[in-house]
Amino acid sequence: MITQRIEKIRLNYVNSKPCISTERAQLFTESHKKTEGKPVCIRRAQAFYDTCANLGVHIFEGELIVGAIGEFRKCGILTPEFSWKWVDREMDTFSDRAQDPYVMTKEQCEYVRKEIFPYWKGKSLEEAFLARLPEDTAKIGVDTGILDNDSKWRQAVGEVTPDYQDQLFPKGFGGIIREAEEKKAALSYADADSQEKMEFYDSVILTSKGIILYANRYADEAERLAKIEKDEKRRQELLVIASNCRKVPEHSPETFYEALQFMWFTQIGGILSENPLSLNPGRFDQYTDPYYEEDLAKKRITPEFAQELVDALWLKYSEWVWTISANTADYFAGYNQFQNLTVGGKKRDGSDGTNAMTYMALKATEETKTHQPGLSVRVHQDCPEEFMAAVTHLVSTGTGFPAIHNDSAGYQMLINAGYEPDDARDWNNCGCVVPHFRKTGEWTAAVNMNFGSAIEYALNEGKSLMTGKQMGLTEKPAAEFTSYGEVEEAFFRQFKNLCYHSIVLTTTAQRIHKEMVPRPFLSSCIEACMEKGVDLSKGGAKYNVGPVITGIGLAVTANSLAAVKKLVFEEQVCTMGELVQALRADWEGYEWLRKKAQAVPKYGNDDPYVDQIAVKIANFFYHEIHGYKDIFGAPFTTAFMGISNYIPMGRVLGATPCGRKCGEPSSEGVSPYVGSDTSTPLAAMRSAAKLNQEVHSGGTLLNLRLNQELVSTKRGQANLGATIQNFFSLGAFHVQFNTLSSKVLRAAQEKPEDYRDLLVRVAGYSTQFVNLSKSLQDAIIARTEHAEF
Amino acid sequence: MPKKIQSSALLREETGYVMQLQNFSVNDGEGIRTTIFLCGCPLHCIWCCNPENMAYRDKAHKMTLQEVEAVVSRQALFFRRCDGGITFSGGEATIQQGFLRSMTERFYDKGYKLSIETCGYFNFEQVRDILEKMDLIFFDLKLMDDRLHQSFTGVSNQIIKENLKKVGQLGIPLVVRIPVIVGVNAFENNIHATCSFLQKYVPEAKLEFLPYHKLGMDKYEKLGMPTPDEQYESIRKEDIAVSGFSFAARMTTPSEELLSAFSDIARAYHIDTISFR
Repeated sequence: MITQRIEKIRLNYVNSKPCISTERAQLFTESHKKTEGKPVCIRRAQAFYDTCANLGVHIFEGELIVGAIGEFRKCGILTPEFSWKWVDREMDTFSDRAQDPYVMTKEQCEYVRKEIFPYWKGKSLEEAFLARLPEDTAKIGVDTGILDNDSKWRQAVGEVTPDYQDQLFPKGFGGIIREAEEKKAALSYADADSQEKMEFYDSVILTSKGIILYANRYADEAERLAKIEKDEKRRQELLVIASNCRKVPEHSPETFYEALQFMWFTQIGGILSENPLSLNPGRFDQYTDPYYEEDLAKKRITPEFAQELVDALWLKYSEWVWTISANTADYFAGYNQFQNLTVGGKKRDGSDGTNAMTYMALKATEETKTHQPGLSVRVHQDCPEEFMAAVTHLVSTGTGFPAIHNDSAGYQMLINAGYEPDDARDWNNCGCVVPHFRKTGEWTAAVNMNFGSAIEYALNEGKSLMTGKQMGLTEKPAAEFTSYGEVEEAFFRQFKNLCYHSIVLTTTAQRIHKEMVPRPFLSSCIEACMEKGVDLSKGGAKYNVGPVITGIGLAVTANSLAAVKKLVFEEQVCTMGELVQALRADWEGYEWLRKKAQAVPKYGNDDPYVDQIAVKIANFFYHEIHGYKDIFGAPFTTAFMGISNYIPMGRVLGATPCGRKCGEPSSEGVSPYVGSDTSTPLAAMRSAAKLNQEVHSGGTLLNLRLNQELVSTKRGQANLGATIQNFFSLGAFHVQFNTLSSKVLRAAQEKPEDYRDLLVRVAGYSTQFVNLSKSLQDAIIARTEHAEF
Repeated sequence: MPKKIQSSALLREETGYVMQLQNFSVNDGEGIRTTIFLCGCPLHCIWCCNPENMAYRDKAHKMTLQEVEAVVSRQALFFRRCDGGITFSGGEATIQQGFLRSMTERFYDKGYKLSIETCGYFNFEQVRDILEKMDLIFFDLKLMDDRLHQSFTGVSNQIIKENLKKVGQLGIPLVVRIPVIVGVNAFENNIHATCSFLQKYVPEAKLEFLPYHKLGMDKYEKLGMPTPDEQYESIRKEDIAVSGFSFAARMTTPSEELLSAFSDIARAYHIDTISFR
């Protein structure tokens, strides 16, 4: 049972609109004005320190875990050093935009325009990136919906899993300061290489001191509040909060409560330093359970209070809001910060790792219905039935949580990316469905690549169907293709070109990040950065894994090639010329042909005719991308992730031969195209499992909708569990389920005020349905709802 | 029609008496199964290969549902892909109705495929809900002649025959089993009578002939009980006149030829025979 306190905080979270705080931007900017000319890592660290020292301190009503990034409880911040231009362009309409609106007052807008943005003019990451990007790549890769990486130059990278096990909990930031000082003492400033390292250690000392100061200011405030608190129970709570904040994160936590407060301060540090997406708590049950068990043994805690603390942490994760551009919000809809928290799975030694915290995490999500953390589970073939039952039970509640991952596929993906076996076994999720690890530097969502564009350019002489502009390589008129083989060749030629530009977008951004936005705070959360004296942005982590290029529209593309093959070259239903005319006309006047196109076998029904085309595309994608190396020499990796990117990528795509109309959503992850998986979910799973998922180390994603009835009984849930296990035995990596009926979703569209806490699975993550734009809501309703296995 | 018993009124017990948990059991239903042999039986068949099972409430065999579950859940992995699951057997599984119900409900919720072997001697309405959760029911029909049935098993077969009709109405795959014993029931009239009954009341049922085996005979001596052969001798002293039946020197295993002839009889009644061997 959720406590009254938690319910109150929960209702506030569900019912209030996020507000933008300009305080962090102001403090960061003021600090930068004073540090001109100093090394950039020192400047960023000093700005972080100054922010920690001066940011307003806010302990909100009833809070057990404290620490705020601004004056509002549901709050987003600005990071003008990355990009101020989009904010300048968009902030006047923040409150009105369709996806992820924020409250920002006129006064705030005026203030930042006058006091903050002018300083950053010409100095932001965005401006540097755009100035350096080659023209041909810019044409296809900046705000086009064809190749998209704007989250890598309008935002910080994020995508880090702080190492609580080996770094933060054992050392505390006090220990990190001592370590940095020792390392520095062993270096000579006379050596040029050492100079850079010493600067790095100085930057880490500054950020560590900053976060310790920040915590102590909360201790002061809690003591102050305790003095004036009339309610004795709350007064005692405030005193415990004060003692927690005095101790962590400077020192190692000794209790479960302190461990959780430590985690939140780490999150605060990450947010204030760069407003990151995917700052993952990682394997929560593995590193918090020992504290809980010890508390329990020493009778310092009750399971009920531990659950309340976990609930409180979940709400903290959900109250901060990732401030992003309208364009980014289209790709990452639903105020999602992608703080992925993983439970279950094998331990480093290969034994099962489920424990009391595994179940508390599942329960917290069920009780609080928060969209954060992104709750992921690792399921192995011999995992406890009790765990599988808890997982499928949570699925049956309709939250879309948890994201269910195959333990051994994640392991294999990491092995393929070059990890040592023990580390690979210890994987956690990053963002939505990327297998990751806490000693890693990796851009896990580097570029979204629109596969459908390659079809379009192959069949339309390299031009966009919607704009007529030359976007791809020049191609001969489609009417001149005389065989399916020629069409496929043209498709792969265009596809390769998209891959090339995706790489250019990424390496250009990587180089600029390395120069402009070092990450001292997050670097201090990763052991090897400290050992080497090298910032995370410069390859300091133990593992530097190649950036992930995400393919969007695999189903649409495979279905389209299958349609061309069958209709034009096998059954001669139409000529190539006619088909292209139909696409240009968006099927107007070609309804007969569209019907034929829709009847061609579709990916997601276990039909080898089209599935083998999907496999061929996926394999080609992997080999092509894997052939490139990033700035640290690591081969690029591939993914079929979801996020909401299939909506904007469909919006720029003309009609496709599979029967899809112009502008309609593309397809996400390895999921079938909406409504086309007309067989059973098992058939969809079989299609998806054919894709050699283990080579796509950036993760794969399958979205399915199940009728609620199917999982309403324990036996139904057990059958779902068996289905998942069988799917995973085929080598697949991930599956997630929506179990809400179309009726409920339509009702929520009608009366959003009654459904504010209704969570749905988007793609790789869950978020409140009412916080999605109408187009995204419609896209979710359009997915096939399976009524039987 | 008797009133359906309210689910909440039904007996449930968290502990029971288990003779043996047999993992990797492959002859009692589809695939790889775990067979749960429950203690206690209302019948006393003289050929019983588990005579120790007739005893019930033996402290040494007490088990909780959780303990059974712990064993079974380790096997569940092997049920997949081969349509395997749990078989409840005995003794007579329904005699521990409360424990059987608790296990059945729990394992049903876990999605396991369930089957039961029963002698058919039970109060149908009291166990209907349990039988309804089965994927396959094995139902013994040892002898059609009631006089012989009483002599060899200790009880009348009237209830058993009535129950077989009712079980046939449940719409659950059904296998009727005959332990074929020369000198007891391996005579043509009995097979004709059985098939005629099946054809009339449970035409969908399949028939399985289980040739008699002498495994477990040494148990009788250890238990200080008269052996099957000794018991057979004493029944022989009764004056039994049943058409087509005659005593043999002792109970023996039927020949392949005899079994094949019985299968031919079944075929004439359009009854399929089946074997899980």
